[in-house]
Amino acid sequence: MDKNFQEEFTQIIKFEPPLYKQRYQFVKDLVEKYKPKKVADLGCADCSLLWMLKFCSCIEVLAGLDICANIMKEKMHTLSPLPVDYLQPSERSLTVTLHHGSVAHKDPCMLGFDLVTCIELIEHLEESELKKFPEVVFGFMAPRIVVISTPNSEFNPLLPRVKLYRHPDHKFEWSQAQFQSWALETARCYDYSVEFTGVGDPPTGMEKVGFCTQIGVFVRKYPQTGESVQSEKPTEAVYKTVFKAVYPSLKDEKYLQNAVIREVIFTAQIIKHRLMSKREEYSDDPERKSKSQPSMYCFSDDLGKLVVEKNMEPFVSGNEVYVPLATIFSFPKVNRLC
Amino acid sequence: TIGLQVSSGLQDLSLRDRGGRRRDFHDLGVNTRQAMVHVQESKTGFSGRMLKLTTNHFRLTSRPQWALYQYHVGYSPEMEARRLRSALLFQHEDAIGKTHAFDGTILFLPKKLESKVTELFSRTRNGEDVKITVTLTNELPPTSPTCLQFYNIIFRRLLKMLNLQQIGRNYYNPSDPISIPNHRLMVWLGFTSSILQYEENIMLCADVSHKVLRGETVLDTMHSLHSQVGEERFRDACAKELIGLIVLTKYNNRTYRIDDIDWDNNPKGTFRKSDGSEMSFVEYYKKQYNIEINDSMQPVLISQMKRRGNVQGSVALIPELCFLTGLTDKMRSDFNMMKDLAIHTRLPPEQRQRELGRLLTYIQKDDNVQKELRNWGLSFDYKSVSFTGRVVQGEKIFQSGTMFDYNPQFADWTKETRGVPLIRAVPVDSWLLIYSRRNYDVANTLLQSLFKVTPSMGIRMSKPNMIEVDDRTETYLRVLQQRVTPDTNIVVCILSSSRKDKYDAIKKYLCTECPIPSQCVLARTLSKPQTIMTVATKIALQMNCKMGGELWSVEIPLKQVMIVGIDCYHDTVSGKRSIAGFVASLNQTVTRWFSRCVVQSRGQELVDGIKVCLQTALRNWSKWNKCLPSRIFVYRDGVGDGQLNTLVNYEVPQFLDCLKSIGTDYSPRLTVIVVKKRVGARFFAEIGGGLRNPPPGTVVDTVVTRPEWYDFFIVSQTVKNGCVAPTHYNVVYDTSQLKPDHVQRLTYKLCHMYYNWSGIIRVPAPCQYAHKLAFLVGQSIHREPNLMLSDRLYYL
Repeated sequence: MDKNFQEEFTQIIKFEPPLYKQRYQFVKDLVEKYKPKKVADLGCADCSLLWMLKFCSCIEVLAGLDICANIMKEKMHTLSPLPVDYLQPSERSLTVTLHHGSVAHKDPCMLGFDLVTCIELIEHLEESELKKFPEVVFGFMAPRIVVISTPNSEFNPLLPRVKLYRHPDHKFEWSQAQFQSWALETARCYDYSVEFTGVGDPPTGMEKVGFCTQIGVFVRKYPQTGESVQSEKPTEAVYKTVFKAVYPSLKDEKYLQNAVIREVIFTAQIIKHRLMSKREEYSDDPERKSKSQPSMYCFSDDLGKLVVEKNMEPFVSGNEVYVPLATIFSFPKVNRLC
Repeated sequence: TIGLQVSSGLQDLSLRDRGGRRRDFHDLGVNTRQAMVHVQESKTGFSGRMLKLTTNHFRLTSRPQWALYQYHVGYSPEMEARRLRSALLFQHEDAIGKTHAFDGTILFLPKKLESKVTELFSRTRNGEDVKITVTLTNELPPTSPTCLQFYNIIFRRLLKMLNLQQIGRNYYNPSDPISIPNHRLMVWLGFTSSILQYEENIMLCADVSHKVLRGETVLDTMHSLHSQVGEERFRDACAKELIGLIVLTKYNNRTYRIDDIDWDNNPKGTFRKSDGSEMSFVEYYKKQYNIEINDSMQPVLISQMKRRGNVQGSVALIPELCFLTGLTDKMRSDFNMMKDLAIHTRLPPEQRQRELGRLLTYIQKDDNVQKELRNWGLSFDYKSVSFTGRVVQGEKIFQSGTMFDYNPQFADWTKETRGVPLIRAVPVDSWLLIYSRRNYDVANTLLQSLFKVTPSMGIRMSKPNMIEVDDRTETYLRVLQQRVTPDTNIVVCILSSSRKDKYDAIKKYLCTECPIPSQCVLARTLSKPQTIMTVATKIALQMNCKMGGELWSVEIPLKQVMIVGIDCYHDTVSGKRSIAGFVASLNQTVTRWFSRCVVQSRGQELVDGIKVCLQTALRNWSKWNKCLPSRIFVYRDGVGDGQLNTLVNYEVPQFLDCLKSIGTDYSPRLTVIVVKKRVGARFFAEIGGGLRNPPPGTVVDTVVTRPEWYDFFIVSQTVKNGCVAPTHYNVVYDTSQLKPDHVQRLTYKLCHMYYNWSGIIRVPAPCQYAHKLAFLVGQSIHREPNLMLSDRLYYL
């Protein structure tokens, strides 16, 4: 490679969107594709990937693991439910847990996951930890899919300011060949298939360098391990839970009941209001009369769409309004809940 | 100076804690008492009987010789990002300890580092070596203002640790909401808290707070508005209902105020991201939060981002993704809704203290919270403070030479004074009664009832000009233009609905173009036969006041005194103009009031207008009394948290200037008292082993007052349910030489003088009059009323 040419590149290379966002987007796309219910992020750091994943509606269990509790605590409150989550509990249930511990140790709380992500994790591991890592992740956790990303050292000469490694805490950075041979060996050993890809495209004409971040996607070849198999892996809990948030959900009887009662009573109130005001209409303010023209504004009015059959019309008797149950159940919002 | 830097640093810290504006809500450091020599020794009163009280204050204790150590943290080379600065510093927790508060520049530690200057070395992600220099700048004693701000920040940390959700300034418990499905409301129980230096101790003042949340989105609200008002008035109705409300969003933990609605935009519209690229809302929410926007026809809400009071651009919000919080004016006027809410929010004393106890138990039981407190060397007294207050003697009510005693427990003399001649009854010789056809019967009922109740009050009432109109605003106005003559004493209108536009039009015309007192009555209030006499009595009294009559009086021992009341109204909907109502007494018995108001124009301070008001008030007083007042008391309401400094440094000097301008030999004694209704303090009387509301006339001027102020609390009103709220009075300027006891008594007396309520109210009457005036002008008239009316209570 021409030295000048290379130096010119070190001036230019800047990823858009930034590389870390591209890695997160890669995980998000993977989640969209495979729709995992239980996802764990190993080396979750300040939880920003977990925060993005909490918005993915297929996920019901999210777990994070990091060796440093402080960095997790820094922004872990962003994983708490929002006031609105309580106001309008969602259909799905979601539990977010953060554990403090090492990927070199087995803990039963990591069992049963569909997807385990290790974004820019392995290069931070000491040799001894890296040795134990495949057994913990592929042998013990044994999720359906594992994603591992790590810097591609062949790309480093193109990056400005990078001397030896991209981060002082990196214990190593692998070339494409090094990563692929490690990955293939691991996959073979634990009965996974692996595909290689990456994010951060190399400049045109230098495609041989490969992606800036290399990624291996591992898919388990053998079928789902049953509960019984897992229970054969008795291990003591070694991780410390530093955070746990259970999101309000309609799957929880308490929230479902509240939501149904709220909708039923509120809609019944509207029906009552309409019937009562209809009775009084003839005596109403003349200025108001002319206003009941057909609406030009096309909001999709939920109540407007009410299909009420003739024989189940609500009626007024004295000061009380009777609303047939069938009408109640035909409210779109109630219907959706029940 | 260093002191200033310190506090600005701390405000950064609190800002990071997400509290919104950088303002000192507790008015720390405004020391007004030091200038008043006569209250240096003591600011307490003496009259009345003693009463044992408890309160919602809890002592904060720290270990002996406690101090907070303040360090300056410098980086070489300079690091810009605050997060990076924190990360680099916290690599050295072994050196600085695990307990710390850091805002990027200033570091607080509970213990002293070994040397005055500590040098630490860190390495950035890029492998850059950074030298961090931690230098001791201050050893703060527990009572220093910086420490107080610090306590408040730490306490908020604790509430967050308890998993309470921050909404606005307070923290709420989301896991146990009260649902009120009839109105689609949800109430969260939470706490307000502030830690301050009180008379002798630093204390936590904690109170139960309720947050009303609405189980519907802004889009839902728009739908129901649309079906209520129809197409034509839809946009206006939305603006009226929604602008000024606070919303929560579905995707982040922030609150926004709705400042505008952009009807020309919709979720398909685009906005410019911070990196300069354009993106549609639909795309953005899908990508960022995985949220699908269903209704692509909805408009977009606009919220202005303010920093230090200046608008810094705006944020667009999607109605479908926003949830409303709090109550609208319309909801507040919905009697049934408020009744249903009150069941949950108006907690009686015992229950209120019990809820508060629950918070303290959480704090006491939570290991992490206790650890944090221990690490800082702090703890709380979990039992609330108790002390003695005084109940001053009840005031006698005088009406036409007769003196009335009434049950002081009820603070009301409606029954006692019924059918007794008024001090000054204004005859009603020429008046109009305007009604629509369907209210013909109601109008006659009112008329008959008025004829029945007025004679015993001493009001001479002639037959009115009865005018039937069709129920339209234009007709009302036309009738007024044609039939009101210079001799007309008053106009009474019976309205069918509480529609504001008709009321506004009538008031506007009769307060500005054609200055005649007017009385609007809702037909509905006259429709119940069992209450018609009570209602007619009230209307007769109100009409009399509006024409310049006087009802009752209390004994005012001071001579040549002018009492002033000021309150502000802030228009949140149209134009955001502020209005100050100003009233001043005209006679010795303080039964007649002069009034003016200031409509703030752009770029003008309200205080300039207030000066003019005071000048005209003095002129009028001297016309009525043939001399100038030798004492002036100003009761100033409507001063927000954190505005005390401005008031003391700008408004009070303006008052003094104004007095100087009257004449060189004129130097009356001036007292300026800031009146505050919204205070966190609550008092409970320990009666018969239980907690009750303290009786009217309870004065508190020890323990929970502030050492740097000449301040006191008075509980003047009674409440049927819930806890009574004391009113806080802060005498910020006083050359009266009066004893504190006399100032307290005068203040309490004035709470008896509001003619729209035959009982004791929460604030001195001039404040309530000023409030009524400012509200009428702000809501309906929007400009200064005709000065012809200024000596009458036409705004009642």
